[in-house]
Amino acid sequence: MKLTRVLFVALSIAFLSSCTNDDNENASKGSYDNGVFVLNEGNSSGGSVSFLGDDMVTFKQDVYGAENPGDVFGKYMQNIFFDGDKAYIIAGGSNVINVVNRYTFKLIAKIETGLITPRYGVARNGKAYVTNANTYSYANPATGNTDDFVAVIDLATNKVESKINLNATANRIVMDGDKLYISEPYDSEKVLVVNTITKTLETPINVGSSANTMEVKNGVLYVLASPYGGASKIIKVKLSDKSVTEVLFPVALKGAGNLDIYGSKIYFTKGTGVYNMDVTATQPSETPIFKYTSTSQYGVMYGFAVENDKIYIADGGDFASNGKAYVYSLTGTLQKELAVGVGPNGFYFND
Amino acid sequence: MTYFKHFFCFCLFASQFLLAQKKDTITRLNEVIVPDAKLRKFSSSQTIDLLSDSILSKNSALLTNVLNYNTVIYFKEYGRGMLSTVAFRGTTASQTAVIWNGININSQMNGSTDFNTLSGMDYSNISVKGGGGSVIYGSGAIGGTVHLNNDLKFDTSFSNELRLDYGSFNTQGISYKSHFSDKKWSAQIGFSRNYSDNDYDYPGAFDWKGKQRFNENGEYQVVTLNANVGFKIDDRQLLKLYSQSSNTDRNISLLSPSESRTKYKNDFSRTLLEYNNVLGVWVANFKTAFITENYQYFPDNAVNQFSYGGTKMLMSKADVSFQANKALLFNTILEYNKTTGEGSGFGYHEREITGLALLIKQEVSSKWQNELGIRKEFTTNYKSPLLFSLGSALQLTKGYELKINASHNFRIPTYNDLYWEEGGNPDLKPESSYQAEIANVFKYKNVTLTQTAYFNKIKDLLRWVPGNSGIWSPQNTDRVAAYGSETLLSWKKEMGKSIVEVNGTYAYTISKNEATGKQLFFVPLHKITSAVALSYKKWSANYQMLFNGFVYTQLDNDPTAVVPSYLVGHLGIDYDVPFFAHSKIGVQVLNLWNEKYESLENRIMPGRNYNLYLIFKF
Repeated sequence: MKLTRVLFVALSIAFLSSCTNDDNENASKGSYDNGVFVLNEGNSSGGSVSFLGDDMVTFKQDVYGAENPGDVFGKYMQNIFFDGDKAYIIAGGSNVINVVNRYTFKLIAKIETGLITPRYGVARNGKAYVTNANTYSYANPATGNTDDFVAVIDLATNKVESKINLNATANRIVMDGDKLYISEPYDSEKVLVVNTITKTLETPINVGSSANTMEVKNGVLYVLASPYGGASKIIKVKLSDKSVTEVLFPVALKGAGNLDIYGSKIYFTKGTGVYNMDVTATQPSETPIFKYTSTSQYGVMYGFAVENDKIYIADGGDFASNGKAYVYSLTGTLQKELAVGVGPNGFYFND
Repeated sequence: MTYFKHFFCFCLFASQFLLAQKKDTITRLNEVIVPDAKLRKFSSSQTIDLLSDSILSKNSALLTNVLNYNTVIYFKEYGRGMLSTVAFRGTTASQTAVIWNGININSQMNGSTDFNTLSGMDYSNISVKGGGGSVIYGSGAIGGTVHLNNDLKFDTSFSNELRLDYGSFNTQGISYKSHFSDKKWSAQIGFSRNYSDNDYDYPGAFDWKGKQRFNENGEYQVVTLNANVGFKIDDRQLLKLYSQSSNTDRNISLLSPSESRTKYKNDFSRTLLEYNNVLGVWVANFKTAFITENYQYFPDNAVNQFSYGGTKMLMSKADVSFQANKALLFNTILEYNKTTGEGSGFGYHEREITGLALLIKQEVSSKWQNELGIRKEFTTNYKSPLLFSLGSALQLTKGYELKINASHNFRIPTYNDLYWEEGGNPDLKPESSYQAEIANVFKYKNVTLTQTAYFNKIKDLLRWVPGNSGIWSPQNTDRVAAYGSETLLSWKKEMGKSIVEVNGTYAYTISKNEATGKQLFFVPLHKITSAVALSYKKWSANYQMLFNGFVYTQLDNDPTAVVPSYLVGHLGIDYDVPFFAHSKIGVQVLNLWNEKYESLENRIMPGRNYNLYLIFKF
């Protein structure tokens, strides 16, 4: 008798709590709401996406394959960007962007034409802007380094509607207002500036060689550059007048990468160490917050992000086995270690 | 169920043909000069599987097919007709040496051979030898060697053979061989062309819009030319010239239709001049060969932009043997080769290698033979180990022979490994292997059963791994222990006008990374082939079957990242046409059971398809 009563109470609570959940604004919109996607570059047979829920327990190694069985996802997965309730996943080796519902990961469309070796993308006001490496100089010495372009995609039709020729190489892209800022670490010494209203190039910003990761914060573009053999530096560009100031790193931090601004701090990595400095600081500390251990000779810090008061690290391992993802607290306490797919190269937060 | 089908098929044939009678065969005693004398003289302690021209003619032209269905070698094909590389005894693609008329023809650029750029119709026969052979054949002879041979016959004859093939996916083949000989001269010339649209549907595969997926951008064409001439100067002196050239033009099939349509063209040409002089107990042999290979890779096949590479190699060999007494044969070889290579990926580099080898064979009796060989190479490019091979073959009873062999072999770094820009690593060491094997050969009446067990320890395995800025670079990273067993079975019986022939192979292969204990990727634990051939009067039929066990595609042996096992069967029937002397008409049903399979992830192979052929002999 007692037992049935207990059960009844328990069931009532479960029922009531599920009702409240339904009414809650934070109701789950799908299996992959509230968590982080790890993009796995993969090998020549294709890449994958892994998912870790905010509860740090829910985990799925191959989300796309599970939700879209039989579909060819694509080779050399490069980047994910979001717009509304959609996620756009760029497969650089397949010239395709898979458009999925970001909460269910069900395929909605594929952008299959107008892309040639697409790299990174951003979206704003119903349009997406995606850098394309186009041909490379190893096979096309004449124009391989000047034929990169931005594909402009109409997100209502999922079609490339036009392209903006850059007359330079292009890789990472960020957007602020109507302007695109584009860096490329190997064959460029400039950050390109593209006006999306006129679809024309504006005067580029000289930042020196090996500029790669970028972020815009409060009207300032932060660019991390690590010239070969030289000291790393952060170039701060005040976007209103394009005035440039530099934070030159100490020599000990040569080869720094993975700039990510979180709160009032700039985070970056060097080797297996994670560092930070105040956004306004003139010199970073040479002491890392923490270091992680990696057996990978070549895939150290292959992906990196700071979000939700956590530091996310991806390790490429040997690139022929599953890679690893680690979640640390901001002070460097390991909270989670996961086996993800081959060559994990980025974290994308779905909140 | 599938196994049952295969068994049923076998029984059906057996019952129809066993009752039949003998086909008349003309056996003539001809003098035949085989090209690769070392294979017979100094490899008696190893197992050699000979594929005759009749087996070659039962398979489609590209060499992958015949070797995949008749030997223990595992093949990894990037789709039908595409790049095809091997793993032999659990080794890598560049650890199987391909030997053309006695000389090593693996690519100087990538170290391996693409078996879909060779046509089986170009050779008299092919031998497959498992295990090490670096002492005789040099770099890459670790897992085993594949010998492509053109025999020269001095039999006073003139014959021509023309073969025409037409099959599914607009697959066309033409091959012509002409042979002329008298007592002094022997000449053969030939050419072949194989082409396919290769646009087959992927069985049961549909894209996200529900449309049937098919093999896009898969066209290929392989054209080869051959000429081989032998001239007997007198009773003691023989001059031989072998030459071959080939052009392959292939698109690279797509995983998905949005991918860039790329193309790969490659060609090679080989000329080998050989002079042989018998002076009593001394035999002197001089060889000189010139080999070129080139490739062009087009990232977009609509545009004439490409990366390229090519090498030229000049090789000279002085080979003197001395029969000290009835039981003892000494053979010294001095070898020099110079390779120049130039490419958009690796600049211009020269490489000179001098090699010295000593081979000794002792025939204790007709039933017991011992072999010993050592070789050392000298080059400025890398440090070369002292190689050796020793073995013994012992006929214990009439029906049982025991063979044992141990050897130290190597694989030198290639042009790409050393000089690729960026990433090439000039400080690489050769891969090296110590191995031992024991083989039991049982013969009873028409049945031969060979059972070989081997153990192979490979160190300094080269692997390309990505660097910090995404640039891949080779490193001498891994140590591998490969061991396993191979079983070869053959049975042939002639009864009246009918002939029955059964061949089977089974390979069990463990190939482990010593540090991790994981199986190497793309090495199946199990591979089985079987072939049944029957002939009755003017009819003959054959059935070939291949079972490939699953393979891991990742080093960590993630059980979800595998290419599943598959079982594929081919059926062929041909008929000697009465109105043309020695002409044949035949049909092949390939992938008879319409198995859905792939040998590499997402590289789907065709379902059931057909080939029709005509052979005219005149």
